[in-house]
Order: sequence, then C-alpha cells, then structure tokens
Amino acid sequence: MKSKLLVALAAGSALALTACSGGSAPTAPSEDGELTPVTVAVIPIADTAALWLGVDQGFFEDEGLDVTIDTAGGGAAIVPGVVSGDYDFGFSNYISLYVANDKGLDLQVVANGVTAGEDAAKDFGGVVVLDDSDVKTPADLAGKTVSVNTLANIGDTTIRSIVAEDGGDAEAVDFVEIGFPDAPAALENGQIDAAWIVEPFLTQAVAAGARVVTYNFSGFDPELDVSGYFTSGAKATAEPEVVEAFQRAMNISLEFANENADEVRAILASYTTITPEVIEKIALPRFRAAIDADAAKKLAEAAVKYSGLSKMPNLDEILP
Amino acid sequence: MHVTEAVTTQRARRASPWSQHPLAGPLLGVAGIVLFLLIWEAATRTGLVNPKFFPPATVVLAQLGQDLVSADFWASVGLTMRSWLIGLLSAGIAATALGFIIGSSTFLRRITHSTIEFLRPIPSVALIPLAVLLFGIKMESSLMLIIYASFWQILIQVLYGTADVDSVAMDTAKSYGLGWWARIRYVVWPTTLPYLITGLRLAAAVALILAITAELVIGAPGLGKEIALNQSGGSVVPMYSLVVATGLIGVAINIGMRLLEKRVLRWHSSQRGDVIV
Repeated sequence: MKSKLLVALAAGSALALTACSGGSAPTAPSEDGELTPVTVAVIPIADTAALWLGVDQGFFEDEGLDVTIDTAGGGAAIVPGVVSGDYDFGFSNYISLYVANDKGLDLQVVANGVTAGEDAAKDFGGVVVLDDSDVKTPADLAGKTVSVNTLANIGDTTIRSIVAEDGGDAEAVDFVEIGFPDAPAALENGQIDAAWIVEPFLTQAVAAGARVVTYNFSGFDPELDVSGYFTSGAKATAEPEVVEAFQRAMNISLEFANENADEVRAILASYTTITPEVIEKIALPRFRAAIDADAAKKLAEAAVKYSGLSKMPNLDEILP
Repeated sequence: MHVTEAVTTQRARRASPWSQHPLAGPLLGVAGIVLFLLIWEAATRTGLVNPKFFPPATVVLAQLGQDLVSADFWASVGLTMRSWLIGLLSAGIAATALGFIIGSSTFLRRITHSTIEFLRPIPSVALIPLAVLLFGIKMESSLMLIIYASFWQILIQVLYGTADVDSVAMDTAKSYGLGWWARIRYVVWPTTLPYLITGLRLAAAVALILAITAELVIGAPGLGKEIALNQSGGSVVPMYSLVVATGLIGVAINIGMRLLEKRVLRWHSSQRGDVIV
C-alpha cells in the first residue's frame, strides 16, 4: 500500500528531474560515479513483476541506473510516451510492437518480458467458456463470439491460429472487444460464448466454474514469448550504453524472477491490488532472458495473417 | 405581484401540508438516497445482479468507510483535486480574459465565432493521444484535457454575458465620461458576473469528469488511476467504493459552487427571492 504513495511521489520527483535535467545528471552516487536516471512505462499487471523485482533487488543500480517506473492505464499510452521520449523504455506485447513498426514507428525490443508458462496445463492466459457450453475443443470456437481485450492483436491472432491447427475455420470466429475485468461478467450473462482472459481473472473465473478451452499462449507454441521491454530507435542510437545497461539489468531480473516465484508473488502485492489469497493461486508466466526465434517467427507470420500487418516484420532489426 | 400571489396560494392549496415543513426538502433528499441504496442492496442480494461483479451497497459502503481513514485514499483524492483546481482556475482566468476582449468588439466576436463553434464541440477525450504524446502519463495530461473542456464552458458564458450588457447603461456610462476600464468594471462586469459564475459551475463538474477520465484512461496519478488499478487487479469492492467516492466529490463540488454563487451574487435578483424586479 505504501508503495502506491511512493509511485506517486516518484512520478512527482520525475517531473522535478525533467525540469532540471539540462545540466549534469543528479541523484545519488554509486561506486563508479553517478546513477543515470531512466524512466520505464509499464502496465501494473503480473507480467511486469520482473522489472519491479529487479529494481527492488538493486540490479539496476548495479548497472548504474536509477529506474523510475510509471504505470499507464493501458498499452495505448505507453507507445506514444516512448516515441516522444517521455519514457526511456516501455512494456508491450510483441504483436503491438510489430504493428507499430509496420506503421512506421521505429521501436526496438531490448529485453524479453514474459514467456508462455512452463506448465502447459495451467498457463497465465486462456480462453474460457461456461461449464455447460457445447464448446469442447478449440475448433468448436468457429461460429462463436469470443471476447479479447484488443482486436487484431495477440489474443485473436493466437486463438485463430489454434483454431486453424485444430481443424476449425479460423475466419469464422467472431471476436468482440471486452476488457479482461469485464469479460467474465459478459460470459456469465451470455453476451459472449467464450472469453479470452489472463491472470488474475483466469484463476477467479475457473474457481467460479468456468472451463478452459485452450491456453492460447502455450497452446500456440510452448516456447512463445508474449511481451517485452522496448525503446525507440532514436534512444538506442543516441544512448547505446544506457540501453545496454538496462538490457543487462533486465535480463538478470528476469532470471531472478524465474527462480524466485515467492519473491514474484510478494512483489505483486506491492504494486497491484490483487488480494493475497488470489496472488497465492494465480499462474505465473515464465520469465527468461532468451527470446525463442522460431516461436517469434511463427507469431509474426500469424500476425501477418490475422492482425493486418502489411508485411512480415524484420525480426532481426526489431528483436535484440 | 397579484399573479405571483395567486400562483403561490394555488400551489399551497394543492400541496399536502407536511411538504410545507422547512425540513421536508432535505428529508425527501435523504429518503431518495436511502431508497436508492435499498434498491441497490436488494438487486444484488436477490441475485438480480451478480454480487461477484457488482457487490451490495452495504459491502461497498463498509469499504468506503475504511478508505476514509486511509492515507493512500486521501493522497489520491488530493492528487485528483489538485488537477481539478489548477485546471479549473487556469481555464477560468484564460476564458474570462479572452471573453472580455472578444466580447468588447463586434469585429472580434464575428471573426472568432466560427472558430469557437468548431473547436468547442471537440470532445476533450479525443485529445487523449495528443495529451500523452505531449506530456506522457503525468498530471499535465490531465490538465490539458481539463482546461480544454472547461475553457469553452466558461468562454461561451462570458461571451453571452458581455453581449447582454444594457446598451442604455453603456451609453449612459459613455456620456458620463467613464473610461474603458471604468465601463468594464461598473457596467460590463456586473452584467457578466452571473454568466461567469454559471459557466464556472458547469465547468467545475466537467473538470472533475475529465480529471477522473484522464486518470482512468491515461493513468495520470489520482483517484481514477486507483479505480483502474483495482479494476485490473480484479478487486471489485474497492473499485466501486472509489467510484462512490468520486460521486461524493462531485456532490461536494456542486454544493461548494452553489455556495460560491450565493455569496458572489448576493446582490443579484436571482439570489434575492423577496424582491420582484
């Protein structure tokens, strides 16, 4: 709870910093000089736990970075913030980054964020139906109304691919846009036939009797990397040493998060409002530094097919 | 005078005697709120609305009671109210100054008319992407939306006010040799003030809506952001408790603006029921 105040204060001091950032870098000195202030815009969800944990553990200070985390209402506020230089780094799923690059924005991934869960039988994102639904397999989703949080993005792209692989008509799935928090209610009211939701809503829905048709991340590819940390091309060119330092610290944070699930659950309580009982139960994503090239290629190809990308993105340029 | 009397007696005859009681108004207001809370409670307790997604009134109000003694809650309220106040004041000052300048000249009034009518209906929320691009996830983004929305509310009222100046009074002032500043002070200002206050009251409500919207959608710090955070954490009860809190702030703002109106315009006929003009 206290950390909310801290975030607010940090946001305030970030303002003060930008106001006087003309001269030499301020803040506390470390052993080899002064810390470089960097700002990261993220969504306050479980996926960004590695970053919060890394900052908490001092991995970024070790690399000479003084990180300020700002939480955005949604991904839509993050990309413009990074492009305009208000933020040094942002967090986004890979399809959003491919779409942004497709539209001419120069964004580069600096570190992986989250990967499909290790346990294919309990991933952190999935498509749920009511228990008495006649949808038994992904192919049955053809002709049904399925909710996703954003259209033409990672949800519908992975689900259509899974439906096609299962022998169903991928184009016949009717997607509608409903936010994760509202989707379980829409499902129970019968407004939709199936809902794509992520944690903590997935655990809550299953506890309330919903049935999982497919875990669409691990179902798409067990090695699928879902989202990552990115910066603008301009930033990567202008301050390569800062970007590399962030990359190193982020990779250490990811490994630490993956090996310390208890620490991840503990840090979740500090920046989300998920209740402790739910935090104990939710499925955590995999945190790892390496991005799986084959799964990334497969996702990009699916995005060209289902997310309206005009051409295959140049993964060598976008991914680290 | 006669007509007014007739209407009053007629009304008195038709209305039941207890509604004449001085406390009837507030009592009815409280009864309305209680009835609303009862319907809310009943709808969720009977399962008409799923209490998992929309918790009963008693549960939400209990949470609100806890919020009211929490420092985090008041810190968020403070952040929201700070954006609200700065936004409303900036819009008020800018709109009043511009309104007097534009309103004082027929030429300016005509040349700006179409531009104002074009810019005014643009919903402030449509500027969210621009606000994020310019200011990021910060209070400045909220301010941009708040100022844009409330500016037009006030400007339009001030323009109406300056147009409402009695030409005889203006001519009299001129023939008595009152200078430009004196005419503004003694003729235009008293005529415009009721309009300005109305504009401010409308803008105060709009400013709160935009402050919360900016916090909800962009993530600028404040109550709206806490609502979004609770929503994305699946914490339904705290979320609705904050929603109720924003409603209460709206009520408080409205009462405050009414009091301000009464005080500033105590000389004006609209506030002096005993004088028939």
